Amino acid sequence: MTVDMLVSVFILLAMFGFFALSLRKAYKFAHMQIHARLDLYPVPKEGGGRAAYGGSYLEEPEWWTKPRKIDRVNEAVDIMKEMLFIKKLFVHQRVLWWASYSMHLGIYVMLGWSVLLLVSVAWHPDWYVLAVTVVGVVGFALSTVGCVLLLVRRVSDRVLAKYTTPLEYFNIVLLLTVLLTGAYSWLFVTSPFEVAAQVFTLSATDLPPIVLVHLALLGIMFLYIPLSKMSHYVGKFFCFHKVLWDNDPNLPGSSVERRFEDAAAHPAHTGWSAAKQQAPTSESSKG
Amino acid sequence: MAMEYKNVRTTDISRREGLLSALDDLAPLPAPYDKNGLEPAFKDPKPEWAETNCCSLDGFCAIDTMKRPETQEEEDELKVKFLKGLEKLFLDANNKYLQPLSLTMEYCAKCNTCSEACHVYKAANGDEIYRPIFRVDVLRKLYKKYFTRSGKLLGSLTGADIDLDWETIARLGESAYRCNLCRRCAQVCPMGLDNGMAAREIRKIFSMEMGLAPTPVHAKGTQLQLKTGSSTGLTRPALLDTLEFIEEDTYERTGRKIKFPLDKKGADVLLFHNAGEFMAWPENPAAFAILLDEAGVDWTLSTDVVGYDSVNYGIWYDDVQAKNVAMAQFEAARKLGVKRIVIGECGHAHKAAVVGADRMADSEERGVPVESFLPMMAEFVRNGRLKFDPSKNDFPVTLHDPCNIVRQMGIVEPQREILRKIAPQFREMTPHGVDNYCCGGGSGFAIMNSYNFGDFRTKVSGRMKFAQILNAFADEMENPDIVKYVCAPCSNCKGTIRDLLQAYKATARYNVQYGGIVELMVNGLASMDRPYFEFLEAE
Repeated sequence: MTVDMLVSVFILLAMFGFFALSLRKAYKFAHMQIHARLDLYPVPKEGGGRAAYGGSYLEEPEWWTKPRKIDRVNEAVDIMKEMLFIKKLFVHQRVLWWASYSMHLGIYVMLGWSVLLLVSVAWHPDWYVLAVTVVGVVGFALSTVGCVLLLVRRVSDRVLAKYTTPLEYFNIVLLLTVLLTGAYSWLFVTSPFEVAAQVFTLSATDLPPIVLVHLALLGIMFLYIPLSKMSHYVGKFFCFHKVLWDNDPNLPGSSVERRFEDAAAHPAHTGWSAAKQQAPTSESSKG
Repeated sequence: MAMEYKNVRTTDISRREGLLSALDDLAPLPAPYDKNGLEPAFKDPKPEWAETNCCSLDGFCAIDTMKRPETQEEEDELKVKFLKGLEKLFLDANNKYLQPLSLTMEYCAKCNTCSEACHVYKAANGDEIYRPIFRVDVLRKLYKKYFTRSGKLLGSLTGADIDLDWETIARLGESAYRCNLCRRCAQVCPMGLDNGMAAREIRKIFSMEMGLAPTPVHAKGTQLQLKTGSSTGLTRPALLDTLEFIEEDTYERTGRKIKFPLDKKGADVLLFHNAGEFMAWPENPAAFAILLDEAGVDWTLSTDVVGYDSVNYGIWYDDVQAKNVAMAQFEAARKLGVKRIVIGECGHAHKAAVVGADRMADSEERGVPVESFLPMMAEFVRNGRLKFDPSKNDFPVTLHDPCNIVRQMGIVEPQREILRKIAPQFREMTPHGVDNYCCGGGSGFAIMNSYNFGDFRTKVSGRMKFAQILNAFADEMENPDIVKYVCAPCSNCKGTIRDLLQAYKATARYNVQYGGIVELMVNGLASMDRPYFEFLEAE
């Protein structure tokens, strides 16, 4: 097998690996036992207009007798704002948002560009190729600029620099290297459409060395992201949906009760040394 | 000197000498405290405290039970215990917090958005050790170093660069008690991570594995409550005497006859007070009695063990203690066969009973549904079961939002509905509602006075709240003829605000008063012949 074929197979396997490892991570979080309630308001699914000011169903007298008002539309809108615009960072730390959003938006565009490239293997009218090229340029520009800005900020900001570990710098540098080798390859060496056609059909031959390096690094990044903290696209879902917005009460017949019973059927194998269960004594009745 | 404390690094936590913050650069207070000279000074710690305890974080000592080891063997034993506890945070022993803790440990981008949300960090004008990620990053680094493959293999490349010694452990434990667990930081985190929850997890290592917790929350808190019935030490006979006294005193002060219904089987409502109210603010349970009687509620108090004290300090530091107390409280309610438990003015008791206990036991084991008093009172106001003459409360009133009730339970509007109806000069603090600042007494600080810890509460953790109060009354503050009322519907918040007003002489000099919401309701009741507040009587 030639180096070109090896790299082609590797990049395809790495793409598959990215999804498989991300799903494995999601599975791990999804199958943890039901946790204590840590709801934090506002919770966007709270209906009846309550989400707007941070209210909850607990504002109802005898709340357990009242039907829950759930606003899935508001919840979805809130999620989309966070996913598409990184709203919390925009609201609370605008300076960092410009860099972070540029990078994340660039990555979204690049993901779309990859899909469009795949389509181009089978279908490539001129206007489509032009459109895909524009998408690619925008994606590369946004993500590279964002990545550089984030790196500069991490290095130059006294506080960020203090808390950033070498591994965290490595994450940004790896991403930036993949972007720069890609940008150089597609701008100065060869056409991404030709490489995509060869790689996706496993017919790659004579790929330029810089393209091989780029594809190998891209594959490594695909496999590395789900194993690193860059997999926050998985974690964030659980942080919001399964922790901060999980305010469903443990009522008879509820799904919470079922999960609670499941957990009770699997008692812990480890225990704390200094914590003992205790019932109250009768000393209270003494004078 | 101040800059030195802003440049501290997490690795400095194991430094043998010196403080990591001397709190010598606090945020300025608004007028008139910008120049009236009434801010109290810190009391200097006694040198001998540092010989036996950890005072090397910032000169304060919260965990009075954590004694400095005298021999290397003792220090080694402490390290082993600490590491066992740290490991257990990530084992099934900690299943109830494993998912949220794992997420927070794994995904923090150190963007520091949380710092600006933290009232302690802001009060200390940015001293590093109060940054919400500081203590959690120390925990993360230690966990990586001792329990992850990447940390063991790559060491400091992954951030696993902190040495473990007595100073590290003790300072980390202390730093967990510089956070009010108000979780304002989690509210702004772009990843949805929860450094407040993680601070509590650190406290759990110390209590649940090492047996170390501040005396006021453990030995004189949950343990005393389980032993005598109340964390105040109030026994059943003493409770009965106290209630009798309150009935007589209320009649003398207001001409209103009340009789506390006790242990009434099958009552609609079992009212659960923080027992501190009976002792420190008897006008609060009396106000509840007046309101519930006037609204025609079938209610009762319990005199059973733990049945007359709603507090549950366990939720601040120890899951097992929290469950011990919560289950005893539900047991008292079940014995009476009441239809529901209603929690009075105590924020953490709200959270412990309604939200915390919700996943400690199933509904059958809990046996009785539980709710806040606020929606019930708001309903009485709305439907006219209670009638008011708002002119009786015609003085400036502002509302403190207890974090446990508001940000952590989403009970925001009922108290406002009440105040809009009964207090014509009600105005909000800034920020308010779910964005409020903690009073500074949250997570046990309100009752922690060992060594010099009270100073930390008064000058640091309560600083932003005091500033909010001053700003809310900016137009009237310097006129002592105008009564200004801080409404704090939570016992611990109320205690903290009392201490703030006292320490800064805000009541004596500027006539800033404080109390709960039910007292204000009773003062505004159309049926009351006399003012309910003593400070109004004096006028």
